[in-house]
Amino acid sequence: MTRVETQSSRLPGTRMLRIGRLVALPVRRRAVLVCLAVCLVILAVGLATLTMGRLGIPLGELLTSVAVPPEGKTAFVLERLRGPRLLTAIGVGAAFGLAGTLFQTVTRNPLGSPDVIGLGAGAGAGVAITTVLWNGLVPTPVGALGGAVLAIALVHLATGRGFASPSRVIIAGIGVAAMAAAVTQYVISIGVRDQASQLAAALAGSLNAADWSDVAVLAVTIGVVLPLAAALGGALRLIELGDDATDALGARAIRTRTVAILLSVVAAAGAVTAAGPIAFVALTAPQIARRATRTAGPNLVASALIGAAIMVTADLVVQQSPLADGLPVGVLTAGVGGVYLGALLLREWRGGRV
Amino acid sequence: MGAESGSAPRERTGVRRPAMVVAHPRRTALVIGGAAILLVLVAAVGLVAGSKATGIGDVWLVLSGGGDDHLRTVVDSRIPRTVLGALVGAALAVAGVIIQGITRNPLGDPGLLGVTAGASASVVTATAFLGFAGGGATVWIALPGALITVAVVYAIGGRGAGGSAVPLVLTGAVVAAVLGAYIQAMTLTMPTVFDSYRHWVIGSLAGRGFDTVVSILPVLVVGLVLAAVLAGGLNTLALGDEVAASLGVRVQLVRAGGILAAGLLSAAATAAVGPIAFVGLAVPHLVRSLVGADHRAALPVAVLLGATLLIGADVVGRVIARPEELMVGIVTAFVGAPVLLIAVRRGWAARS
Repeated sequence: MTRVETQSSRLPGTRMLRIGRLVALPVRRRAVLVCLAVCLVILAVGLATLTMGRLGIPLGELLTSVAVPPEGKTAFVLERLRGPRLLTAIGVGAAFGLAGTLFQTVTRNPLGSPDVIGLGAGAGAGVAITTVLWNGLVPTPVGALGGAVLAIALVHLATGRGFASPSRVIIAGIGVAAMAAAVTQYVISIGVRDQASQLAAALAGSLNAADWSDVAVLAVTIGVVLPLAAALGGALRLIELGDDATDALGARAIRTRTVAILLSVVAAAGAVTAAGPIAFVALTAPQIARRATRTAGPNLVASALIGAAIMVTADLVVQQSPLADGLPVGVLTAGVGGVYLGALLLREWRGGRV
Repeated sequence: MGAESGSAPRERTGVRRPAMVVAHPRRTALVIGGAAILLVLVAAVGLVAGSKATGIGDVWLVLSGGGDDHLRTVVDSRIPRTVLGALVGAALAVAGVIIQGITRNPLGDPGLLGVTAGASASVVTATAFLGFAGGGATVWIALPGALITVAVVYAIGGRGAGGSAVPLVLTGAVVAAVLGAYIQAMTLTMPTVFDSYRHWVIGSLAGRGFDTVVSILPVLVVGLVLAAVLAGGLNTLALGDEVAASLGVRVQLVRAGGILAAGLLSAAATAAVGPIAFVGLAVPHLVRSLVGADHRAALPVAVLLGATLLIGADVVGRVIARPEELMVGIVTAFVGAPVLLIAVRRGWAARS
């Protein structure tokens, strides 16, 4: 593993960050700058989210509330409405970004994300069953998580070799996703109209009901996935060279890939549990990160930050734009993300760079 | 024929022997014969089985002009939906074979061209702005939507440098995503639109009569004839563009024709019964495992197996939930997906 890191660190502009004798992380200047810039974007959009609109908290009050606990309306907005919603948006975006970059790296597929293997569709079916058929006896997030886990378990079972072969995982995932989508559509078609309409909104992925429990779920998810993925880092970068080269250089390809897909699934499951299957963030964030940092391989931190920036921006638009009023944030990410990603890949293909 | 690259192009498809004669004539003849017998059997079951149980004798009685009014009505309603099921299943399967061949993508299905999204968006738009109320005229709303979408996808992505299929797949995905977001936005803000859309979006053969069959038949015939004419050219295309061009095949023309055929077939099928997942994706895999990738053998087998699968799924949907019916679009997913999963587990659908 240590060998691996010296291999990949021979890129121009790379320095090793050493903490004691155990930790040696390659740090590239451009990547650090990009991450700082994205952090600033998140901060700015976050401030706008808290201060804009009818319920917005005046900036001065927001700054003093850091020192003095606020009261009344400000406290309500900050602690019950927009505070948890903002943090959930950041967490969901970061988790999807991590999930996407891990999945795209190990499958070597620029259009890969855990949604491809049925995670989002499974979560949707879980939500549909718990809300309409079981009439809310089971909380929606539990339904989403249950559906996602069941779908992934089915995929794992169907491949016959777990997550070792990406092509099998993807084809099995398409089958499972088709079944889950059929369940969802059926439930929607038999439900009462208004109930079904609410369900359809939840299925697009929405932050309208975000609260502190969602924030907790996401914090735990990212807290688990990010360090483990960072530990895989060097081996992951080698996988892009091909399995034989990976094995020859001492990073066992199949084990690395299995662990990476598992981590990707956990990250996406956490995000889906909190906000529902939001489309295209997991696909787009790693693509932007790859281009902004000009680095191939898993740009873990950059992808997570860019995912978070996409989510907070999309949620701000949904909250404040009269055109998007009341729409679930997932509708916006699907429309804008789809166009952006497609245009990007098309342009690169024309330039002969894919 | 691995799928690790998802929608990226493949240099090799499942073609093992680029022969200009059908590789296994006896095997192909056997498969075609078997599939034809299976189709006739399933179609017969389609006339006999349903939410009201009837015997073979009853059906024969009606077909030869006898029977009481009630029996006559029941059996008469089953004839058009069986015919329509056969046509739609065959169309989707053939479109799937062509699309998977042209894009060299084993996961290709007619949805790649934006057919489903286009038809759905058209229906949603008509419901929202023109006061369209569903029913038999749906086919005339959905068909132009689907065809226009295919045309747009082809206009943007069909003429990539060197004629590769990559931009086509990407454009299809983008157009589908944009239309999907539009559909979501419309249905979530207008409850009445949502109410009719949620029934349309599950493909169903119920309540479609011979008028629907007649309205899509010309489109289907054109699509099928085009596919049959192009079969040899599509085989050569699978060898790679340079090889095909050096063999004297006009690559661009064959590809454009193939996309036109697949677009016409899947648009007509979707317009007639609504989106049906999976037939276009799964049947080509089944066909290739039976007769190989030669289009001249694969296309007729796809016609027979696609028709059989859709009628069979419709019968299952009618019988399983008596006295209610389960829509055929749901049954195909639940019948097709396990087949695909078993195929993956056995290593048929993907090597490595």
